Amino acid sequence: MVTEATSRSGFGWRLLPLAPILLLALVVGAFVSGGSSVVDLIGKNPPPPDLFDIQRVEFAPREIRIRVRNPQPEELTVASVTIDDAIVPFTLDGPATLKRLRASTIVVAYDWVENEPIAVGVTSSTGIETVSEVPAAVETPSASARGFFGYAVIGFLVGVVPIALGLLWLPSLRRADPKWLAAFMALTGGLLSFLAVESLSEAFTLQAQLPGALGGSGLVLLGVALSALGMTFLSSRLARGRAGAAGLGLALLVAIGIGVHNLGEGLAIGTSFAFGELQLGTFLIVGFMIHNVTEGLGIAAPATEARRVSFAQLIGLATIAGAPAILGAWIGGYASNDVLGVLFFGAAAGAALQVVVEVGRFVARRAPGGLRSGWVIGGYLAGILAMYVTGLFVG
Amino acid sequence: MGHAAMIGPGAPAVGGPNDLDALLYPPDALPYKPGRVREYTLTAVDKEIEIAPGVFFPAWTYNGTVPGPVIRATEGDTLRVNFINAGSHPHTIHFHGIHPTNMDGVFEIVPPGGRFAYEFEATPYGMQLYHCHATPLKKHIHKGLYGALIIDPKEPRALAQELVMVMNGYDTDGDGANNFYTVNGRTFYYARYPIRVKRSELVRLYLVNLTEFDLINSFHLHAAFFRYYPTGSSDQFEYTDTVMQCQGQRGILEIEFAEVGTYMFHAHQSEFTELGWMGFFEVVE
Repeated sequence: MVTEATSRSGFGWRLLPLAPILLLALVVGAFVSGGSSVVDLIGKNPPPPDLFDIQRVEFAPREIRIRVRNPQPEELTVASVTIDDAIVPFTLDGPATLKRLRASTIVVAYDWVENEPIAVGVTSSTGIETVSEVPAAVETPSASARGFFGYAVIGFLVGVVPIALGLLWLPSLRRADPKWLAAFMALTGGLLSFLAVESLSEAFTLQAQLPGALGGSGLVLLGVALSALGMTFLSSRLARGRAGAAGLGLALLVAIGIGVHNLGEGLAIGTSFAFGELQLGTFLIVGFMIHNVTEGLGIAAPATEARRVSFAQLIGLATIAGAPAILGAWIGGYASNDVLGVLFFGAAAGAALQVVVEVGRFVARRAPGGLRSGWVIGGYLAGILAMYVTGLFVG
Repeated sequence: MGHAAMIGPGAPAVGGPNDLDALLYPPDALPYKPGRVREYTLTAVDKEIEIAPGVFFPAWTYNGTVPGPVIRATEGDTLRVNFINAGSHPHTIHFHGIHPTNMDGVFEIVPPGGRFAYEFEATPYGMQLYHCHATPLKKHIHKGLYGALIIDPKEPRALAQELVMVMNGYDTDGDGANNFYTVNGRTFYYARYPIRVKRSELVRLYLVNLTEFDLINSFHLHAAFFRYYPTGSSDQFEYTDTVMQCQGQRGILEIEFAEVGTYMFHAHQSEFTELGWMGFFEVVE
């Protein structure tokens, strides 16, 4: 039997897997050439909604720029533009008739009033108006060196600084009783669980605002899967044949998991600020710092296992976990993209979940009493609670 | 910026300079003659019309335009309007004025493919109007089934340059609020093509409001005053530069421009103005 099968493995047999694809192409071709005849059997298609996806509204001195995308399969034409319910002359940077998922920028000369709400309407050729309400018109930052530096400082303050401060708990943790140490490891698991849920919720919120054609929940899953699998691969490399990552390796995993989350956090801050939806006041920045200092503690806990941790390694860990907030703020401030946002937050959830599993394994192995010990359960719940309570500062 | 950008080629209006002449300039008034019959044919047709550049509205029309044609008769004429319903929904024509109730366009619903001859004596003189009275009324009116009906007095009015303006709105996205406002059916049309009148001659403007959804519409003239005759059925007038009308209200404006120049007119609801209801008189020697 085996020899017979191998003797058939000629050229023709290798093409056989292509047969379903070729047949599919034929069926699709026949269906498409038939026009709407199949749909007509069951009824009539309703007209397309003809709503635009208003992606960005940017304010420059005496000018408003509106980026619109066609989210539907049928073509969509920009016919009329209103600002605060008044028809305005406009020019287009791009085509007026947009094919599926194509975008154009509408440019309107307009004396907008600073800090006041403004409504931008784009009407299609079928008279359907899509309105985007801007809560407060503020000049959109352009890519100046000053602004670039500003975003970096914000990212540094809310990402790197608190995590570095949290890492300073390392010497105290080293002296702690093993039971306490287990509790702190569990706390790391708790705060990462919190971050995973928070990121996932953020990803789903963002995807709900995306046009259906751009993926939705599948995009979230893609982000989660990509990062979870990437982290699994990384953790198996770091474990180097042992049962699981431990010590500095585990600390690195935790730092990466937190780093991916902070990338998303930076992105959200940058985007919201650029669109005048977020007041980056002192209170908010302080809130983020308090919120994120617990993340430093989370990285410090597994690092206690390592015999020696150099200062450079600590700085490295803080950078890995915190610096992505800077990158995120830049992306959010200058090139915000909702698809990217969904992917980032999905990835943050995946990475955090994977590290929770990793930390769980570690605690199960090392903690006195394993996962069922009161110290571990208490620590885990404390981690979630700490994130929740400090999260109130940024709510 | 400002209105300077909204005059001439800068104004976003559809079509060429004489497209709306049939709606702006009424047929000539005829002197009173006993026993005369004035006959018109109105056909209801579904038609997609361009109301603002690139914006199309699936309208229900009389004779293919929104508003429908201007009907004119002299008081005492027999007015015969042959109505053909070539649309996809039942329609009627309801005329404002004094007439037998069986000619009122309320009880004789004309089905698609059907016809009906409305016949009654034209009275009283003044600015009247007509519109479809099939239900749902709101839908049948805002889709575009309306127009101006002028009934001239037996004693002819003074010679004048006569104009008709039907104020309306279009709810293009079906949310029960208008997206565009116009006179005679196209946004900013008379901003794109100002109405040319002579300084030395009286201007008589027949004005009616057929805007759906909004409670009122209005007309405001810049830099000049006019005599406003509500409904145009008496000699009573108000000397003003702004009048307001609810739906179905109408009147006659008589303007004597003292100087040549460009006189703006628009609804004095700023929102309507900026959504298309604005234009200019170009007064020349």
